[in-house]
Amino acid sequence: MIDKVMKDLEIRFPLLQLVREQHNYLHVKVDKASAIDAVLMAKTSLGFKTLQLISTVDRLEENRFQMTWILENYGTTSILLISADFPREDCIVPSLSDIWPAASAFEREIFEMFGVSFPGNPREGEDFLLEGWKDIPPMRRDFDSEEYSMRVFGERQPREHTDPRQYIGDIVGEWNTPMGAKRARKEKK
Amino acid sequence: MYCNQRPEKPGNKIEVFEKITNMARANSLWVTAYGTGCGAIELRPLHTSRFDMERFGIAMRPTPRQADVLIISGYLATKTLKRVIRVYEQIQDPKYIVALGSCTINGGMYFDSYNTLNVLDKYLPVDVYVMGCMPRPEAIIDGFSLLMRKIKDGRAQGWKHYKENLDYYRENQKKIITDWDLPDYNW
Amino acid sequence: MSNIISIVVTIAASLIWGLLLGGISRTVTARIHGRMGPRVTQNFIDVWKLFRKKTSIHHGGMFWMAPMFRITGAICVLLMVPIVIGNSVTWNMSFAGDVFLLIYIMFFGCLGMALGAGNSGHPYAVIAVSRGLAQMSSYELSFSIAVVAIAVGLHTFRIEGIVAAQQAGISSWNIFRFPFASAGALLAFLPMQMAYPFGIVLAPQEIPIGPPTEYSSRFLSLMFSGRALFGVAKLVLFVSLLFGGASSWLSLFVKTFLLYMYPVVVSSVFPRFRTEQSIRFLWFVPTTLALVDLVRVML
Ligand code: SF4
Repeated sequence: MIDKVMKDLEIRFPLLQLVREQHNYLHVKVDKASAIDAVLMAKTSLGFKTLQLISTVDRLEENRFQMTWILENYGTTSILLISADFPREDCIVPSLSDIWPAASAFEREIFEMFGVSFPGNPREGEDFLLEGWKDIPPMRRDFDSEEYSMRVFGERQPREHTDPRQYIGDIVGEWNTPMGAKRARKEKK
Repeated sequence: MYCNQRPEKPGNKIEVFEKITNMARANSLWVTAYGTGCGAIELRPLHTSRFDMERFGIAMRPTPRQADVLIISGYLATKTLKRVIRVYEQIQDPKYIVALGSCTINGGMYFDSYNTLNVLDKYLPVDVYVMGCMPRPEAIIDGFSLLMRKIKDGRAQGWKHYKENLDYYRENQKKIITDWDLPDYNW
Repeated sequence: MSNIISIVVTIAASLIWGLLLGGISRTVTARIHGRMGPRVTQNFIDVWKLFRKKTSIHHGGMFWMAPMFRITGAICVLLMVPIVIGNSVTWNMSFAGDVFLLIYIMFFGCLGMALGAGNSGHPYAVIAVSRGLAQMSSYELSFSIAVVAIAVGLHTFRIEGIVAAQQAGISSWNIFRFPFASAGALLAFLPMQMAYPFGIVLAPQEIPIGPPTEYSSRFLSLMFSGRALFGVAKLVLFVSLLFGGASSWLSLFVKTFLLYMYPVVVSSVFPRFRTEQSIRFLWFVPTTLALVDLVRVML
């Protein structure tokens, strides 16, 4: 089954990379222009009718987003991953929400988390997980989460030491006994 | 129907009456069934025959109208905080907050997350903290017994504190909820 | 004056007994589940706590009236039923009532509750009310037929007469003289107490607590007291109708206690019917049973 899929895809598209991860699990990489065509062909003629996930990876060093569409064929229980690279600035990816209505939710999430816009999605820009977010999208790798957290939610007063004796010594009382104090002095030396 | 006035100060009560009522309050804590973080998982065993919280008179109510206690079970996203404020203000006085887990104390393991707040006490008045990540049911029962002791002594006054320092809490809340669309006074 | 005293005594005693029965039933349910369960006095604590909570949410006129309707209905039933036979304190107005008046008043209490819950505007409450009314129309039918069968058999509609006719020993109790009608009435007693498998009104899995969803603090406290009173009223009515009435306080307590435990025990071991299953069951089984006795009596 997967062999036929491989052959069909190879004839139709210039595949950049083709990895067969398991006997029913195929990962193909296509170029950006033919990504949507490949997804549509997988749906219409190869039987991958179910969209499981749209995922995005931020490759900051190479200045690109890697988009991946994960499709499944329940009849043969085989999985097809189609991925493509898109430039990081003003990233625009065609929407699939009129083919799979469920894609709309994934696309809204990706828009919110990475700032990738999907023209054609009727609900694009609606709040999905974050409400009233004003900063750069939080899942981009150049977003400094800790700095943001300290700025907005305030300091968290961390402990300076990790030695439990400093904190529970007084309460437990063991370290205050003569024996305990002796042991503590010995350990200090 | 919303009230658009500031909350009025709770009046003085007859002391003996209040003492008896405090005993009743301590022995009949009704909890809003609302879980915000992963700590809610460990709340469920409290219903079962092994831990059985009904023997303390603690019961779950599905609506904030009838509850006394709001349990913040762990990390709180800003989006959830909005709903939690709404729920908290609909609970009728007197009301108490029990906060579970290290996330509510200082952010816990989500201290650097972009979306979960670090110190809960800035936004809502917490009466009892329960330590642990996540607290076991025994620890939660222990926290409840501390709350019961506080109520009996009349020390669980978080709700009064909230009303008196409403401006402080509102300022903090509005700082992190950027699209504030709640009614300002909602009693 | 003595009338007023007797009314107050009746109401206070049945309120305390009703709340206590509720507490006992919670403990019994917990023990069946293998838990410790709450205190027996838990219901008193709850009612007192709720009564002292602040009340600032309400939804209009009918919302205020509903708990009153319920309590009024319960008190009326209590005053119309001979609670302890021959006791001047609790005899009240039972000389005046007939059975259909009682059934009507009971319905009136539930109807007020339904209107109040509808007025609160919460969708769960409205769903619960529509389910409750559908179910009520089905169990009221079998209950009424059972009552008619008994009344025709004894040639009296007066509740006093029905009680008086059962005073000749245990074998003269209506449950032995009219076994089918009694079975129908006792089956109808389960949905009246909202016990499983007929608990579609308070179904905690779908419409968490049904009609009183929007009721808070003091309203809820009144509602709880109303439910306790109403429960006792129903128990006393059933004891008078089927179990020969009560000739002393002790026998009243024993009989109502045993009768109250019956839905509790049934309810803690059964799952819940769906709405249409419940209504179909109530239309066919108890109604048929009651009809058998009615036909037998008529012939
Ligand atoms: S304290 Fe631990 S268990 Fe509780 S919410 Fe935080 S991470 Fe989860």
